[in-house]
Amino acid sequence: MKKQIALIALLAFALMQLNVGCKQGQRQEATDLLHDTHDPEGLKMSETMVKEIISSVPNPVEMASVLQRNNVVYSQQLLNPSGNIDNYNTNFQRAINLGVYGTDLIYMNIYDRTVATLRYLTNIRELASDLRLEQFFDFNTLNRLSESSKNIDSVLFITNSGFDKMTRYLINQDRSNIAVLISAGTWIESLYIATHAPTTPENKELINKRIGEQKKVLDNLMLLMNAYEHNQGFDELLKDMRNLKNEFDQVVISYVYAEPSVIEQDGSLVVVDNSRSIVDISDETVQRIAEAVAQIRYSIIE
Amino acid sequence: MSEEILKALMQLFAIIAKQDVGLSKGERAFVENFLRQQLNESAVEEYLTLFDSYIDTEVSNNNEPDENTGHKLTSVKDSVKILGIARKINKTLTQKQKAVVLVKLLEMVNSENKLTPQRIAIIDTTADVFNITKQEYNAIQAFVLNTLLPELDLPEILITNAADPENSESHFILANQLEGSLIFLRIQTVDMFFMKYNGNSELFLNGLPIKSNKIYIFASGSVIRQPKGKPLFYTDIAAQFITENTSINIRFKAEDLNFIFANGNKGLQDINIQEVQGKMVAIMGNSGSGKTTLLNVLSGIEKPTSGNVLINDTDIHKDKEKVKGIIGYIPQDDLLIEDLTVWENLFFSTLLVYRDIPRQQIKEKVDNMLTSLGLAHIKNLKVGNTMNKKISGGQRKRLNIGLELIREPSVLFVDEPTSGLSSRDSENVMELLRELTAKGKLIFVVIHQPSSEIFKMFDKIAILDDGGVQIYYGNPVEAAMYFKKIDNQINSEQGECPRCGNVNPETIFNIIESRIVDEYGKTTGIRKVQPAEWAKHFKNNGSHILTNYETDNLPEYDKKPGWLKQFRIFFKRDIKSKLANKQYVSLNLLEAPFLAFLLAFVIRYIDDPTSTNYIFRDNGNIMPYLFICTIVAVFTGLIVSAEEIYKDRKIRKRESFLNLSRSSYLFSKMGILFIISAIQSFLFVWVGNSILGIQGMYFEYWLVFFSLAALANVTGLIISSAFNSAVTIYILIPFLIIPQMVLTGAMFSFDRINRTLGGGREKVPLIAEFMPTRWAFEALVVHQFINNEYEKHFYGLRKLESTLNFKNVYYIPELKTIAENWKSDYLKGEDNPLKVEDKELLYNEISRENNSVFAQHHQVLFKETEALEFDNPDPAIADKILTYLDHLSDYYSNSFNNINNQIDSRVSEMVSTPQKREQYQKWYNDHYNNHLATFAKNTFAPLPLVRLGNRLIQKIDPIYLEPVESCLLCFRTHFLAPQKNFAGNYFSTFYFNVAILWLFTILAYIALYYNLLKKVFVFFEQKKSLNQ
Repeated sequence: MKKQIALIALLAFALMQLNVGCKQGQRQEATDLLHDTHDPEGLKMSETMVKEIISSVPNPVEMASVLQRNNVVYSQQLLNPSGNIDNYNTNFQRAINLGVYGTDLIYMNIYDRTVATLRYLTNIRELASDLRLEQFFDFNTLNRLSESSKNIDSVLFITNSGFDKMTRYLINQDRSNIAVLISAGTWIESLYIATHAPTTPENKELINKRIGEQKKVLDNLMLLMNAYEHNQGFDELLKDMRNLKNEFDQVVISYVYAEPSVIEQDGSLVVVDNSRSIVDISDETVQRIAEAVAQIRYSIIE
Repeated sequence: MSEEILKALMQLFAIIAKQDVGLSKGERAFVENFLRQQLNESAVEEYLTLFDSYIDTEVSNNNEPDENTGHKLTSVKDSVKILGIARKINKTLTQKQKAVVLVKLLEMVNSENKLTPQRIAIIDTTADVFNITKQEYNAIQAFVLNTLLPELDLPEILITNAADPENSESHFILANQLEGSLIFLRIQTVDMFFMKYNGNSELFLNGLPIKSNKIYIFASGSVIRQPKGKPLFYTDIAAQFITENTSINIRFKAEDLNFIFANGNKGLQDINIQEVQGKMVAIMGNSGSGKTTLLNVLSGIEKPTSGNVLINDTDIHKDKEKVKGIIGYIPQDDLLIEDLTVWENLFFSTLLVYRDIPRQQIKEKVDNMLTSLGLAHIKNLKVGNTMNKKISGGQRKRLNIGLELIREPSVLFVDEPTSGLSSRDSENVMELLRELTAKGKLIFVVIHQPSSEIFKMFDKIAILDDGGVQIYYGNPVEAAMYFKKIDNQINSEQGECPRCGNVNPETIFNIIESRIVDEYGKTTGIRKVQPAEWAKHFKNNGSHILTNYETDNLPEYDKKPGWLKQFRIFFKRDIKSKLANKQYVSLNLLEAPFLAFLLAFVIRYIDDPTSTNYIFRDNGNIMPYLFICTIVAVFTGLIVSAEEIYKDRKIRKRESFLNLSRSSYLFSKMGILFIISAIQSFLFVWVGNSILGIQGMYFEYWLVFFSLAALANVTGLIISSAFNSAVTIYILIPFLIIPQMVLTGAMFSFDRINRTLGGGREKVPLIAEFMPTRWAFEALVVHQFINNEYEKHFYGLRKLESTLNFKNVYYIPELKTIAENWKSDYLKGEDNPLKVEDKELLYNEISRENNSVFAQHHQVLFKETEALEFDNPDPAIADKILTYLDHLSDYYSNSFNNINNQIDSRVSEMVSTPQKREQYQKWYNDHYNNHLATFAKNTFAPLPLVRLGNRLIQKIDPIYLEPVESCLLCFRTHFLAPQKNFAGNYFSTFYFNVAILWLFTILAYIALYYNLLKKVFVFFEQKKSLNQ
């Protein structure tokens, strides 16, 4: 009896010893990786500048609201299918599609399509956590809020503020490339939806004008992205963006200055900027922009 | 007898009969009589005609040539004929049958006393051809031809008579009340007995009347009953011829036995019994008088409260080891293994008893035993159970006794061998026991209401009365007289019925228990004579005192086989019995794959409603599957073993007298159960994992499943050896399984269980550490997550990334907050800006940081931790801490980016072309599981970091979190830790947990070996009864 127990114990111990050897090896290997120094290539942009340019990229809420207010019909087909998330394996893909899905989520919420939002929320969470950014989204709260359409404002607020905080964090943490990609993603998706949303003769002009106004945003974004040209994936994107820029070059924006006036509104005085920018954009140009942006988007989301 | 033989015999008879004087009437009558014994009426006629025709031809043949020579000599022709017939017989008959033929020939010749030399000469020739030795032939001749006792003074002869003939050679048995003599002949070479009786009283051989001077075969087990006196058993006769006396002198002595039950009731009071070898003693008494208790105490199963039981001066309760093997016990219940055949039951039992006898010899022994038990014809029948009868009750009982007979213990205890048997079966069984006494065994039998026949078979009876009082010990027939006498009945000197010789044991009990009759003639509940009074009578009588007998040393019973051999026998026996039960085999084989199929098929689903492809990665049921796996393992393991020992308990009770090794028995049980569980585990994992698409982890899953099932097997054995009813055992199973389900960590997160049980702490709650399923489940989850083909390639990096991220995002900011609070409270001018627990926390965590693996790399150390040991430390430290934390944060942030980029570039490389990307995607989909990852990373933790007292505890990414403490025994850590720390070394959780399961198994085995659970119950029961 005693002998048997001793034998079993010995065997068990021997087994464990075997194990120690390999496991300790692994441990060592992991920390060794820390010695590798990481030198990001290319020019470094100042943090402030990155921050400024990113904040100049319009919030997707703006474009979506414009569409909704002008009775542009909601179209589910325009969105990036939620199942595509399986394709996103690299940080580049994840970041840019985080932007894409963010825009989609906002678009859906603006149009009160709450049923499908859960899936997009899940995708955003997944991408964010793969990017190690989960701390910026209180998904439990978002999930709860998105259950009712009454909470849309809150959802939008939390999402937006989440994006803002995240951008700041990324820049602070020397991961501005991720922030830039997220921004680019939101912008591209917004532009894609705007250019592909089914317009009517009544609202077509206004929407086209809004599209034309994006010229400036694109210039800024390109400026920013050039700084990351050497980062993985950026070169391809930049190439496509340059094509888009070529199309946008057809757009002429002129600025007409007028004296600001003061009017009374709700019992208080308000200064009104009477200056106008005139956007000259042809239907043809819009069409070509739509094609170019569709191509960029396709290469992003697939 | 075959036709051929009969014909040959007729011819032989004819040839002998026609010699000399020719056939006499008596001889023909003898032949007729002989035929009548063998055949029915019509056939008798046929053979008699044949005989007559032989006589006629013989006579006519002989007449002519024999005229001249006279009838002095046998004709050559006859001689040739006889030789021919005898040779023919030689070819077909066994030696035994030939002996019978020879006896018959002599008997025929003797029937009319016409012993002419020719006739004798022919029989001589026949005996010669039959190869019967001269000496035996002479004995046969003497036995058949003589009736006078002095002429029968041969060693082959035994005489039973009222007076010893004082022969020097022959054996003798005294039978006081026998009129005339019974004469027995033994033919040693064929081991046969013949008998004849020369008196005139009515004797019965096996119930048939014996005719005077007729020769009978006295077969094994035969009994001759006489109108008065004890019956004469085969063994009584046979024993006389056994020259080599194998039995030892036994003196069995029970002195002043007292036994008090746990509840305080008296079980036995002052019992005294003394007996020597070769006796059969009945223990009688009305129900509840303590017969079985006495038997148990005498056999050593129960320890007497006072007094002792000695066999040749060895106390059987103190020197248990010494007397084991000497004592045999046949309980009232069956000791048979249902699914084995009659032969196998006896065979395995015999194997366990003998060490040195070769297998072939054991087989012969078993065959012989079955023949002598009269069970040879059913030896290949399954024993079955009482519900599903394959063999009769009497046959079962005989087989039960056979198990002990083959072992030949010196002292045998039998509990109610006749209960539930027909009177014929009862007698058979008792005769079987009676035979044993002839071999020098001492037998104690508890018996209830025996028939007169059986009652008279006993040498002694012990009668107990209520409360375990001994009121008689002595001859059974005298018992009746004794009680009648005390009761002042008439005919008290008549022990048995004068005409039929019956003793009705009931009359004895009627006297003992007779009630007082009241004035209306109704019996009251009060006994005429109280047990104590009977006991007094008995003591005064003094009949319990036995004069000294000589004793031998106890024989060394070292016949049992060694540990390994016992193991092999147990193992084989169990395997055989299990395999014989087709239902059992098929159910056990189908159970696991069926459950696996059911489970896996139900939970295999396609997550994407638009897709038709099953993707393992999207299956949200993998974690529950792992959990169910553990439960199924425990369940199947328990079910298969829960009744194992319980089922064997009766056999074990008997085998406890064989001094067999408990560990070899348990190991054989475990061996078989482990094999069953290993097969079940294999089938379950194979089917389940294949259906769900869990790839490449069959062995690990199997190992965990099997380890858990093995533990459950041993646990089941513990239960089955501790409880005494099958229902209790099955009621108990939920008690064992449900806590394990609750405390596995799968259904209820350890963060969300009652805090008094240790929920929501850093480590797994202590109570859960005792749940085998928790270890198994953890092993599976950790292994599945870390070592799947996909994660395997990234785990090291991701672990590092996770740690760095946690420090950077949650941990450092939390410490900063504390330091900042300190600073701002100080600036606000508070008296005590740094609370004690905050100070301790800062001290603990900063010290930990200083000692972390990363500290070796970054060399950002906070050197002033001692300052935090004082009361009210200098607030300037707060600034230093903040600066320090900023440095740390920078380091962690940079390192994180570094690692994150490394992972990203690895993945980018893997998806750099569409083809590679597709490959990557497939690889990812097939091996990684999102939902399991969510569980393992605790993604939904309400708080990524919690503060417990003066420590910060990481709650997210447990799968990437190394255990913090490192010491000899602090293997306890958070749930789903990738490694475990033990004795200062790190072990992979998978193998560590499996080792823990086996440690549990070893502990369970120890508990099983020492039967600890049962001992605990007994302890509490005793305590309870003491309190009462």
